[in-house]
Amino acid sequence: MQPRVTAILVARNGAKHLERTLKALSLQTRKPDIVITVDCGSSDSTAKLLADFGPTQFIAADADLNFGQAIDAAVRVTTPPTHDREMLWLLAQDSAPDPNALEILVDALEIAPSVAVAGPKVMEWIAGEYIHNFGESMTPTGATVTLVESELDQGQHDGLSDVLAVSAGGLLVRHTVWEQLGGFDPALSVVDDSLDFCVRVRLAGYRVSVVPAARVASAGDGIAGPNQSSRGRLRRRRVRAERSAQLHRRLVYAPAWTLVFHWLSLLPLAFLRSIGQLLRKEPGAIVGEFAAAFGAAFNGMRVGNARRSFAKTRTLGWDAISILRVPSAEVRRRHSLKREASLFGLHGERPEIRFFSGGGAWTMLAAAVVGIIMMVPLLGAETLTGGGLLPLSPTVPELWASVGYGWRDLGLGFVGAADPFAAVVAVIGSIAFWSPSFALVLVYALAFPLAAIGAWMAATRLTDRGSLRALAAALWVLAPTFLIALADGRPAAILVHLLLPWLFFAWFAAARTWSASASAALLFAAVAACAPSLAPALFVVWLLSVALAGRRVMRFIGIPLPALALALPLIVHQGLRGDWLALVADPGLPVPSGQAPTLQLLLGLPGSDGWAAALDRFGIVGFDPQLFVPILLAPLAVLAVLALLLPGARLASGAWLVALLGFGTALVANQLVLAAIGAEPVRVWSGTGLSLYWLGLVGALIIGLRSLHRFASTPGVVAALALAAVALPLIGSLHVGTAAVREGTGQTQPAFVAAEAQIDNRVGTLKLTPQADGGLLASIERGVGATLNQQSTLDSTDQTLSDREKTLAGLAGNLASRSGLDASADLAELGIRFIVLQPPGSGIDAADTALRTETALDGNSALAPVGDTEFGRLWQFGETDAAASTPIPARAGGVFGLVTLLIALAVVGSAVLLALPIGAGREAVRQANRDAIRRAARANAKQKPKRVRRGKGSVASDLEADLEVPLGTDLEADLAMDRETGVGTGLESPDDGTADPVEDDNAR
Amino acid sequence: MPDKSQLARIGGRAGRGVLGLVGIAVVVATLGAATLVTLPTIEREPQSSEIAPLPSEQQRVCPGPLLTLAEDSTQAQSASSVGAASAVYGAVDAVSLEQIRPQVTEITAVDDMNSRQPPLLLTVPVQNGATVPPLVTGSQSQVAATDTIGGLAVAACAEAVSDSWIVGGSTDIGRTSLLLLSNPTPVLATVDVTVYGESGLIDAPGATGILVQPGEQRVISLAGLAPNVKSPVLQVSSRGGQVAASLEQSSIRGIEPGGVEIIGTTAMPAFNQTIAGVRVMAAVSAETVTTGEGFNADTPSIRVFVPGSSAATVQIGVTSADGTTEGTSTQVDVEPGIATEIPLAPLAVGSFSVHLRSDEPIVAAARTATDSAGGKDFGWFSASAPLVGPFAIAVAAGPSPTMHLVNGGAADAALTLTPAEGTPVNLQVGAGASATVPVSGGVTYVVSGGSELWALVDYSGDGALSSFALNPSGPLASSIRVYTH
Repeated sequence: MQPRVTAILVARNGAKHLERTLKALSLQTRKPDIVITVDCGSSDSTAKLLADFGPTQFIAADADLNFGQAIDAAVRVTTPPTHDREMLWLLAQDSAPDPNALEILVDALEIAPSVAVAGPKVMEWIAGEYIHNFGESMTPTGATVTLVESELDQGQHDGLSDVLAVSAGGLLVRHTVWEQLGGFDPALSVVDDSLDFCVRVRLAGYRVSVVPAARVASAGDGIAGPNQSSRGRLRRRRVRAERSAQLHRRLVYAPAWTLVFHWLSLLPLAFLRSIGQLLRKEPGAIVGEFAAAFGAAFNGMRVGNARRSFAKTRTLGWDAISILRVPSAEVRRRHSLKREASLFGLHGERPEIRFFSGGGAWTMLAAAVVGIIMMVPLLGAETLTGGGLLPLSPTVPELWASVGYGWRDLGLGFVGAADPFAAVVAVIGSIAFWSPSFALVLVYALAFPLAAIGAWMAATRLTDRGSLRALAAALWVLAPTFLIALADGRPAAILVHLLLPWLFFAWFAAARTWSASASAALLFAAVAACAPSLAPALFVVWLLSVALAGRRVMRFIGIPLPALALALPLIVHQGLRGDWLALVADPGLPVPSGQAPTLQLLLGLPGSDGWAAALDRFGIVGFDPQLFVPILLAPLAVLAVLALLLPGARLASGAWLVALLGFGTALVANQLVLAAIGAEPVRVWSGTGLSLYWLGLVGALIIGLRSLHRFASTPGVVAALALAAVALPLIGSLHVGTAAVREGTGQTQPAFVAAEAQIDNRVGTLKLTPQADGGLLASIERGVGATLNQQSTLDSTDQTLSDREKTLAGLAGNLASRSGLDASADLAELGIRFIVLQPPGSGIDAADTALRTETALDGNSALAPVGDTEFGRLWQFGETDAAASTPIPARAGGVFGLVTLLIALAVVGSAVLLALPIGAGREAVRQANRDAIRRAARANAKQKPKRVRRGKGSVASDLEADLEVPLGTDLEADLAMDRETGVGTGLESPDDGTADPVEDDNAR
Repeated sequence: MPDKSQLARIGGRAGRGVLGLVGIAVVVATLGAATLVTLPTIEREPQSSEIAPLPSEQQRVCPGPLLTLAEDSTQAQSASSVGAASAVYGAVDAVSLEQIRPQVTEITAVDDMNSRQPPLLLTVPVQNGATVPPLVTGSQSQVAATDTIGGLAVAACAEAVSDSWIVGGSTDIGRTSLLLLSNPTPVLATVDVTVYGESGLIDAPGATGILVQPGEQRVISLAGLAPNVKSPVLQVSSRGGQVAASLEQSSIRGIEPGGVEIIGTTAMPAFNQTIAGVRVMAAVSAETVTTGEGFNADTPSIRVFVPGSSAATVQIGVTSADGTTEGTSTQVDVEPGIATEIPLAPLAVGSFSVHLRSDEPIVAAARTATDSAGGKDFGWFSASAPLVGPFAIAVAAGPSPTMHLVNGGAADAALTLTPAEGTPVNLQVGAGASATVPVSGGVTYVVSGGSELWALVDYSGDGALSSFALNPSGPLASSIRVYTH
């Protein structure tokens, strides 16, 4: 009896590839005896093409049929097999066989009767010399392995014959076996359907073989075998299907007694694998991960049916196929080989950041020297004090305890949300874990070099000229707002200035890599935590990025999430108060500052008298800073404006947008008085807005200068020198004593109190500070005193007085007066053991109040004077058990605190995992290889012109039109990420996009 | 003919230029608009509570009888009392104006060799449920007529404070000044006395660390601290307990007593000072004022002192106390740290109120003298602090006591003087105006209806001139603004 072949062709919206497939089918040297075409509800011309082909049978089926079901539908219309030389040839719309493919396949089955399934060598659709897929197997744990994929076919695998499985497209199977095994498992829709089928064939006692001489081209349309597209949605769906299939097969293949364990492990495994997906920069796969786990867990019928039908046909034990499995070690080896190959290819075509050879190290060194010159008076300091600087809690656990919603041990203490800044402080304090307070000294010591590195790295996104990068670093380090923040002791503003260039650096690459995107998200959170007033401006930039991101929008959409998660409890708390504006109040110890004239803000000088005071001190009275600071800063401004006329203007306009946003922030902050410390209102610090303004200005200037090529040096040097002249008095501010920052003693309380605090760390000290209006500020400090991490904007912006605060006010008012009140009860209730009267500031009213208070306290027989200390005059009150009277409530945050903490942990933790520079996962490397092959093939086919204009399909890398970068530096920027993550544009670029070689402004 | 790509390039450059100019225009316009537009300010006021301290018991110390230094040169520094002062005192509830009887105890005058009549301490405990302290007042008067002391000395019974200024006294030849420090508090007071004179700060080693035990009065001869100072100004500051300070000054002209006075504390340094009443017994000629001719210790004058470090320009306004004649105004520059005597403008006999307006905080007091058939006497008229709300005033016995009131409030004040016994007197004082009311000696009055009043009572008669000013209870009992965050 002659072999009889029934070719079954399944198509769904496949007109694009169908023509070639049908033509190939008609050119077969050994024509199939029966051709059945199945159209799965196509909406294009597929049905017409299939019908016109003139098949033996044309079946119009539903759209929701998968490949296996479509084949079954076709098989049903055939006559049942009468002998085992009847064969089914499974084809999809994109399975274009070579003319002799069927002949060779049939021969393979004819020669070896034990072979039930023969698979062709599946080649790439366009790059026909590359193997798409050739034989499949499993690891010992059941993960799918494709034996050969994305390799140039040089006949190196033609010796292969017996395999565990073959892919579905082009597979030739004996009809009897198909009937015996019941076809593909309906639970496996696209992925692993043929693998599972082949495994069952094997365990039913037949063989599966590949036939290297038979070649079928596949475009990876996703009809037979998974879709190969790298487009986000399709790719996510594939990853999910792969995981679903793996779990399904695990539950089907597992011995019955282990089912419970497998079932119980589904969710925990999904969780662990999600972490892995984050590390592999595949956040999109997480939803699929859980969907697959739930799908496997709660679709018992499918598993049961599959297990039953499997058991029915199985005749051999698993040992029979163990030799065909691929060891896990072999899988890992192959992966690393492929990864190296793909990285090598990328590095070959990209310039480097060249931190050392490009002058980055020298720039950093120079900045460090300038920093040391400015900080000479602080050399050797172990703690700093003055301005907004306070010690940190002495241990790392205490630092972290002040994060999140819970007990705020500030003053009287209250239950409320911590500022997100507390988390930043905790991170920084943890770096100096041996003495967290030392972290602030580190920030000061490293401020200059860190600012220089940040700016230098940020400049690598804009230019590859070392001199311009160094110029950017110099302009950034000498920013007046930065120097004033250092002199004023504003740790949050200093951190903002250090972080902003990195935020730009990461944001710029966010479109390309998940790692950069997550880094940008974390930096966004840190900047917004340090300066909530910058958050609106950053949101605007984010909105623009999202709007212009095109299909890479997912890389941007999550950037504000960590910031929001950190601020969530605070937002809720302030929202309940109805005081939304208070959210932008500066965190940390409130530091009052004067209102700056707008013109001064325009010059990048926040509200501080640093310049004028310094001039006075130098004795340069003849100069009006209002006049000649603008003259000195004019070159900088002119160059930045000029950038709008030079090549690269598009990017420069983006930089100017950032600058204007920063300036607007500073302008508004200058008008906002949200907090108060005593009688003194505290203005929102405009300096952080000016840091953003400066970032935009320096960016525009660099963009402008790089277009001037060899003429760039003179204007650049002039601008830098003029800025240095402006910065000189600010750099000298620590020397001449106009700065608020000075070396600390490590204490904020009198030594007597500090000693007492060693015994009782809840000992309360009532701090009375005479105010300029004749009032008195009463605050309670516990233990060794106030810490930076415990500061709270909830407290500083509070517009109400609680009952306890009224009690405290009454107590303080009576203590400061000749009064008939017996203060003992209140003092004991509030846990106060000491009273410190701080020295008054200037002003006759404050002096009067100080005198009055001192007189009253001296005359109070319940208090024993201790004496004058450097923190003011001290009195002691005998009878207080502070620990008992004012305990810290346990679990003050309650459920809300826990929930918000978990949310923050999840979001920030995910971002950290995603940001960690760990190599790309296997899937990414496989995808990258496939993409590289296709791109190369397409390029060859097109005879690529020298310049390709930006096409519609390549919007992906045109993420931020405003911050878009020309190619020359684009590649370099990519490289930075590649080095960190091993994933770059090449690895992840769109399968239909070209490398996007933009018209390069630099090139001319 | 240029090809297409050239055209495109030219077009592209032109387009970019135009767009660049537009960009520059946007940037300049935005920044320019920002500098021109005044943005509204959102300002949250700091939150605070005004705390009125719970009233505490009120205490007043009367200085006690006049003292003289021993004639025996071996005991030149020890004082002994002369005669007895007669004190008038009283207290009323601040709300109901009901009479309260003060507890009267004695202060131990440890330096008085002859303590027949010690100084009095008036104590009024807080009435149950009272939210404002009771009004306590007292004053004492004594007429001396010995060989060494003659004249009238009236003084208010004062509250102990931690910091006070006394403008007056002299340690010139023939003048004796004794500083009286009484400590009514239960805490030891350590008193530092700083003496300034016409040549500046006087180095007085014994003036610091004067211990005044609780319930005791110390007498310190100013000549021991600062000899030969014509116009001393004293700052008395105490730590621990508080003291009530006053300065007794007496003078001898040749062998005749030249008068005596107990000088109370003057108002604390401030830009504006008000002396509610100054009685001039002998007309001051314009000649004396302009040329200094005939200026002597009896010339009505004002002693001004600037505690700060910058010179002050002081505007001295003198108006007739009853508002009948035009006021005069003179402007003088006063060096800091130096006690300066400024003769009053040409004045007729009568009583006047004096306002000093300065650009630096100052302290001040005025002095006049009388020389009549009955003998010589002089009087000091100290500046005082304004009285808010009703106040009580006890008028010690003496010749023709007259109350001087200055209304510092913005509105006219309809005042009622209610004597402890007798018919109330109604009185209208215009805003910023002053008034004089004759009162009776030995009577306690309650003055109600005022919002901001300066009050002083003077006595004048034949060979008798004296005054005391009324001060509100100490600043320690006033309300205070407290911030809690």
